[in-house]
Amino acid sequence: MELFELSVAQIIEGLQNRTFSASEVFKACLNRAKMLEPRISALLSFTEESGMAQAEAVDKALASGEKLGPLAGVPFIVKDNMCTKGIPTTCASKILAQWKPPYNAAVVDFLDEAGAILMGKANLDEFAMGGSTEHSAYGVTSNPWKLDCVPGGSSGGSAASVAAGYVPFSLGSDTGGSIRQPAAFCGIYGLKPTYGLVSRRGLVAFASSLDQIGPFTRTAEDMALVLDVISQKDDHDSTCSRRSRPDYKKALRADSLKGRKIGLIKETLGYKLDPEIKEAFDKTVKFCKEQGAEIVEISLPTMIEYGLPCYYILAPAEASSNLARFDGVRYGLSEDAASLIDLYMKTRAEGFGVEVKRRIMVGTYVLSSGYYDAYYLVAQKVRQLIKREFVNAFKSVDTILLPTAPTPAFRKGELVNDPIQMYMADVFTLPVNLAGLPGLSLNAGFSKDGRPLGVQFIGSWWGEEDLLSIAALHEKAYGTAPIAQGGVC
Amino acid sequence: MSELTFTPVIGLEIHVQLATKSKIFCSCSTDYIGAVPNTNVCPVCLGLPGSLPVLNAKVVEYGVKAALALNCTVNTATRFHRKNYFYADLPKAYQISQYDLPLAEKGYVEIPTEDGGRYHVRITRLHLEEDAGKLVHEASDGRLVGADQSFVDYNRGGVPLAEIVSEPDIRSAAEAKEYVARLRQLVRYLGVSDGDMEKGSLRVDANISVKCSDGRWGDRAEVKNLNSLRALERALEYEFKRQSQLLAEGKTVTQETRHWNDVEGVTMATRSKEEAHDYRYFPEPDLPPLLLPDGYVDKIKETMPELPWQKVDRFEKSYKLNETDAMILTEHIPLADFYEACVKAGASPQRASNWVRTEVLRIMNEQKIEIEDFPIKPAVLAQLVSKVDDNKISTTAAREVFDMMAARRISLEEAMSECGVEEGGISGSNLENMVRGILKNNADVVEIIKTGQDKKGKKQKFLQGLIMKEARGQADPKEAASVLAQLLEE
Amino acid sequence: MAVSADDIRHVAALARLEITDDEVQAMHQHFEEILGYFNRLNELDLEGIDAFALKVDEEIPWREDKAVQSSVREDALDEAPYRHGDFFRVPRIVEED
Repeated sequence: MELFELSVAQIIEGLQNRTFSASEVFKACLNRAKMLEPRISALLSFTEESGMAQAEAVDKALASGEKLGPLAGVPFIVKDNMCTKGIPTTCASKILAQWKPPYNAAVVDFLDEAGAILMGKANLDEFAMGGSTEHSAYGVTSNPWKLDCVPGGSSGGSAASVAAGYVPFSLGSDTGGSIRQPAAFCGIYGLKPTYGLVSRRGLVAFASSLDQIGPFTRTAEDMALVLDVISQKDDHDSTCSRRSRPDYKKALRADSLKGRKIGLIKETLGYKLDPEIKEAFDKTVKFCKEQGAEIVEISLPTMIEYGLPCYYILAPAEASSNLARFDGVRYGLSEDAASLIDLYMKTRAEGFGVEVKRRIMVGTYVLSSGYYDAYYLVAQKVRQLIKREFVNAFKSVDTILLPTAPTPAFRKGELVNDPIQMYMADVFTLPVNLAGLPGLSLNAGFSKDGRPLGVQFIGSWWGEEDLLSIAALHEKAYGTAPIAQGGVC
Repeated sequence: MSELTFTPVIGLEIHVQLATKSKIFCSCSTDYIGAVPNTNVCPVCLGLPGSLPVLNAKVVEYGVKAALALNCTVNTATRFHRKNYFYADLPKAYQISQYDLPLAEKGYVEIPTEDGGRYHVRITRLHLEEDAGKLVHEASDGRLVGADQSFVDYNRGGVPLAEIVSEPDIRSAAEAKEYVARLRQLVRYLGVSDGDMEKGSLRVDANISVKCSDGRWGDRAEVKNLNSLRALERALEYEFKRQSQLLAEGKTVTQETRHWNDVEGVTMATRSKEEAHDYRYFPEPDLPPLLLPDGYVDKIKETMPELPWQKVDRFEKSYKLNETDAMILTEHIPLADFYEACVKAGASPQRASNWVRTEVLRIMNEQKIEIEDFPIKPAVLAQLVSKVDDNKISTTAAREVFDMMAARRISLEEAMSECGVEEGGISGSNLENMVRGILKNNADVVEIIKTGQDKKGKKQKFLQGLIMKEARGQADPKEAASVLAQLLEE
Repeated sequence: MAVSADDIRHVAALARLEITDDEVQAMHQHFEEILGYFNRLNELDLEGIDAFALKVDEEIPWREDKAVQSSVREDALDEAPYRHGDFFRVPRIVEED
């Protein structure tokens, strides 16, 4: 087995047993990435030098018997909307070209303290707005399973890097499905934690009440290991919970789903799905039954019909405010202008891509005088309604099962010029953000033409352990998905 | 045709900087005056991508304190809102403020009226928000208009503010001045703000409209750039005249923002090229609702210091002072403390009041010092005053000693010695010797008296005056007169 | 509610986005489509729903009032597109008469 094919757990074990060194692992991952990048274009930058130095430091510490962090020597990649000190953080936008933050995101600090080694920054849809990673100012990322298809978005680069074996784990962000959908398209695990579990400090905000950072991994065990580290409390984020976090690894020990109630949403059962997605979904229902879970039908009438408009009012509204700070004064792109107003107008016109502009415009509109009540306020009420329905649902079930996306990865160019069609693909993921629930996408097979088929489990608030236990059992039953070769054997 | 009369209708919007150590949403220092630009900054107050606000507990405390002192109802469940607009001094392009649910509402400030009565200026609301950065404009006159470029310093950005809005209850420029003076005194008493208009820790914007006796009511003008109480008063007086004039001429008053020009003594319409702001307020998603725990407000109530009107009341009752004197002594807490220390150390309240109000304040004015730096300690002043209380030295002599202590910063004993002031006054042989000395130096006057030419006794009175002057009030006038008469007989 | 091209221009001005006529056209089209979706929300009965309930599931404590010196100053100023010594510089804010 190649070093880049190892999971987080396997790397940790191997380092402990001196089977290999951290430098060897890092070099292997780096080479793997460099080899496939011309086809996949998952990354915007590499942190080769600092990474190698860190790997060497880990090796030195290992040799001298020092106590190391829980992820020491494990390479990882981070979506380029998370601040990395002194390392360009572009959000895949021209407006932040080459911007170097003077500080790390909280999760980057946590991973750093744990000994994990940053290998690069991943491509995304600009400012995390999109479902295909086609809206990046720096190029399109390809799906490692089928190069003419999208990897999903907005965390397409993070998902592709793990699927293709660049690194054993990466971080993405999820506002309306941007971790789960790429995870489904790329055949890996992607977890959006409960809102407030993971600190948002240093995550360039898209929609503050919806954003969450989460891991991509190839194994359930790795998901628990990474979640343990990134879910630490943070006093510098007022929306980050101060509750004590459990040891997520314990959830992996579940031996069955007996006694568990898994909900199927009545309103999604009739939804038009790609037949292979439907097949994968049915297979997963069967799996749950086989594991001893009771399947319960629940009704969530509002989320399917009205979740989309609700989300596409609220997310752009918050985004329009969060992106107003990009004005050419303190960082990033700054167009030549004789007046302040010109500076704003020209910089933002030049710096933002078309999808970002669309969302800023819609967001500004729904907050503006005369329209706030009709749109923003209504959407917030609908959000409460959706949340309320979930509260009721979780009285009769522990977890909910539904597809991640209605189709597998679509072809590049297919939806990029039809924004609303693109938005429709989020129908199963965005209600989860609206309610602040945790959601996990896992791979449930491959289509005939080799595209991964994902399904999604939604847990109750703070129910990550339930999701991890299901993932662990699923993996036990079906094995770990292979690494995508990116068109290379 | 009956003559038209005009009445001003004034409301004030006051921003008070709260004197916490750190900013409202980050831990940067609030000590920006004189600091090198952009040194008290961090990702949060610079509005860097990925930064998040965290509320300062002390800001809530000071806000509630101020609200209670302003007789407001404190709302125990409120929230923050984003006020969205673009400007060079606003790093996030939104200000975190409060909108539909302010921290406190429906209070009042009591002000004295010219006829000796009392009037309540109602307070609509008090809310918390963050201050913006400061701009330095590159223009020959340092002004904004026409400056080719400007420079931004974010040190002040994020400093906590309490915005206090009054109802348009104020009926004159004088009342406006009084309202601000009372409010300023209040926040200083509470220790929640320096309340300094010149330094910018208390900023006043005025809204003024004019009602005409024939029923017309002009639109209101907002007046900005009022950096002192004097400026406030002059600006409002000017605006009142200007608006009344317009109405008298049958013209309309435009609703606009006007800038007070202290040098020219006029308000000028500001050129605002932008349309009216659409702030697109929405609840701040990065902060949870602001919920005051049970008992929080009560606890703050318990820690409230004595408020100005309470102190005045107490001074009147305990020290038997009249209201005017009590108000002078309690204008600033340090002065009130000084006075009370004096009384505690043994000075009679009435005499101590006179001394503090006249002599102490005079020296403070002359030497341009604050009471904290006063060269004579309250206990020492008390000693001096007690001597006058006990008739041991005269007031005149005491004043000389006081002035000497203030000027030379020496002790009471040294000053008395320097001034030649003795307890018990000058009498007996000392007095006799002194009178002899004066008679010797004024032999020509003595001659006039002795030759019976001092028909009206004027010259004798003159000598008496010299004696009393020399004695600096330490001689008993009757005794001095008798000794003089006696010696003149010789 | 119908939206006009002028509305689009107004929104662009609010958002400080310089917008070409072609962009106005395209944006107008997008708005018409998406507002149609938004209006569907009016089908719901939202009676009695409090959009912004003033309660929390968990109390997040406030921050202690302590001044801490941040170290980002130099890096932050270095990233300024137009640094002027200790300041960030902006071009003319208000036009001269």
